[in-house]
Amino acid sequence: MHRLLDILASGIHDTKNQLFSAESLVAASEAEQQIDLSEVRYAIESAANRLSRTLAAYQLMRHGAQLAIVPVIVPDLCAEVALAQKHHLANSGITLTIDCQALDDWPLDRDLVTDMLNNAVQNAGRVARREIRLSAFEQGNELVLRVEDDGPGFSTIPPAGGTGLIVAEKLAELHVRQHRHGSLKLSNGGALGGACFELRLP
Amino acid sequence: MTDYAKKRFLVIDDQPQARDALRTVAQTLGAFAVEFASNYQDAIYRIRNNTPDIILCDYMLGDGRSGQQLLEELRRFKLLLDETIFMMVTGEQSYEQVVSAVELVPDDYIIKPFSPDKLLLRLERIVAKKNFFADYYQQKRKEEFSLAIALLEQKRNSEGGRPYRFEILRQQAEVLLASGDSNAAEVAYRDILESHDFPWARAGVARALHKQNRLTEAREEIDRAISGTPHFFDAADLKATICMAQGEHAEAQKVLDEVAKKTPRNYMRKRLLAEAATLNGDVETARTAMAEVIAGDTMPGAVSAEDRLALARSHVNANDKISGERVLVSMRESEVQNMNLAEQASFAALMAICSPEKGKPRFTGLRPALLATELGITARLDVMRAALSVADNELADLHTEHLMAGPEAKKTFGSIRSQYALYGREKDFREIQKQVALKRIRHEEVAPAASAENGIESS
Repeated sequence: MHRLLDILASGIHDTKNQLFSAESLVAASEAEQQIDLSEVRYAIESAANRLSRTLAAYQLMRHGAQLAIVPVIVPDLCAEVALAQKHHLANSGITLTIDCQALDDWPLDRDLVTDMLNNAVQNAGRVARREIRLSAFEQGNELVLRVEDDGPGFSTIPPAGGTGLIVAEKLAELHVRQHRHGSLKLSNGGALGGACFELRLP
Repeated sequence: MTDYAKKRFLVIDDQPQARDALRTVAQTLGAFAVEFASNYQDAIYRIRNNTPDIILCDYMLGDGRSGQQLLEELRRFKLLLDETIFMMVTGEQSYEQVVSAVELVPDDYIIKPFSPDKLLLRLERIVAKKNFFADYYQQKRKEEFSLAIALLEQKRNSEGGRPYRFEILRQQAEVLLASGDSNAAEVAYRDILESHDFPWARAGVARALHKQNRLTEAREEIDRAISGTPHFFDAADLKATICMAQGEHAEAQKVLDEVAKKTPRNYMRKRLLAEAATLNGDVETARTAMAEVIAGDTMPGAVSAEDRLALARSHVNANDKISGERVLVSMRESEVQNMNLAEQASFAALMAICSPEKGKPRFTGLRPALLATELGITARLDVMRAALSVADNELADLHTEHLMAGPEAKKTFGSIRSQYALYGREKDFREIQKQVALKRIRHEEVAPAASAENGIESS
């Protein structure tokens, strides 16, 4: 039954190539005409991420996913989320601050974790008033990645109708190191008084 | 920040539209010199002749080859300096699976679509890493292994080394293996596994164990490395090599057959397949594979005298002496003169088998050298075989004894036995086997610490 998956993957692959052409044309115009079209690029990248996420979710639910663990420099991971989200949030008057206390490299699935954090920041962006904070630190033998906002918080925990959340929880658990599993926790009343998304990786 | 106007970029992609997009992105970073390569061959040509500073290579190159294969070949033929930046570009999420498993990795990979800013962030990060390792790269290139290891040790304990802990450990293990210290390399790879079960580190353990001739353990480790990593083709090569050393030639061929189908234009692998098929007695597969190598491997200088000898040997095995002779006579005398002694020995031996009339004088002329010199196992097998065919039993038995006493006894056992059987000398073969075993026992009584695994007793 992997054929259906192959067809989907190949279609998504082609689409992402085309989106890349579009994005590079936009970037060229920006450079040429000294204009800011970053919201266009943001929309293109969000669309591509959405496609990848859908494929990953399908694969996980249907076949079970295998992670691709590589050593990742944690400050770099935070910097990439900032690069992807900061500008867009600033346009709605929200500041994204990064507080990264983890300086070492850490074995994790870079693309999945980056996507989870991007997604968490995007979700926070919908409810935050003025600030979102992404923080990273080591606690015991775990890496803690936290996204907090100053919005009203989750009305229910777990939030209703979150298939994305179920997928994210599974992906967190798939991170295993010496029999210890990763986990995902949602809570209210974080450092900024709003919602708190916390990913813990062994 | 790095001045990208001064850097030479090479964009490798078979799709014109994608090439243009990559060029646009590079130009947005200020790049001035952006070259293109539209296929594998062109890429190798450009990298050999004028190494770029930064390579942006698409993972899908078309034509049965991937960016990963290009990278592996560049690293193996030492065409890529450690200082050169190699960035894989891909629309496929699945490339991440490849990178997380394999031993030969690019500096980084980036998934399409991406903004120029993101590429810039990634490149700056690689530049920082290359600066951190710069002095180490120099010593490694000069093969000053102990200096290189000392530099890594120093980096490992430095504050600046914190983001690179795994990279430092990985480099340490690789250098130890390259320096020939397979015991220390094994320890280094096991240290990494303590921290996380990376397939590449497990394959490293298997590689180190194989070098130590601890074959059963090596096999266990490589089987573990392979399970769950279908993209890790190099590990399959290593598994096949270990299987051959264990004398399990059918399993070796099976493993290679499967992977070779997925990588039809990987000619290193095809050579290995030919070797496994030869040992397994599948003469036709060996013949086809070697013919494909010679016709298809367009890497400059890649098809060697050894390959032609292998093709001739495969014809001999298929009992097609006319084709074997044709391959051998097509080699120019100057080429033969430039061969090392082992290849000359093989050439003379194969010629003597294919055409006793033409080949026997040269083979007999080499006899004093063949009696006195240490040869590799391929050459020894050829010489043993030719010697049997010209009824030079002394020469044949000498090489057989060496083969049976050496670490690759299990690998060659089947081939030797069948040759002796061909000439009705099974009894003599068993006698040689017995003598070798007796010598080993006597030797072990003197030095009981000697490894027990390289024996022939289980064959």
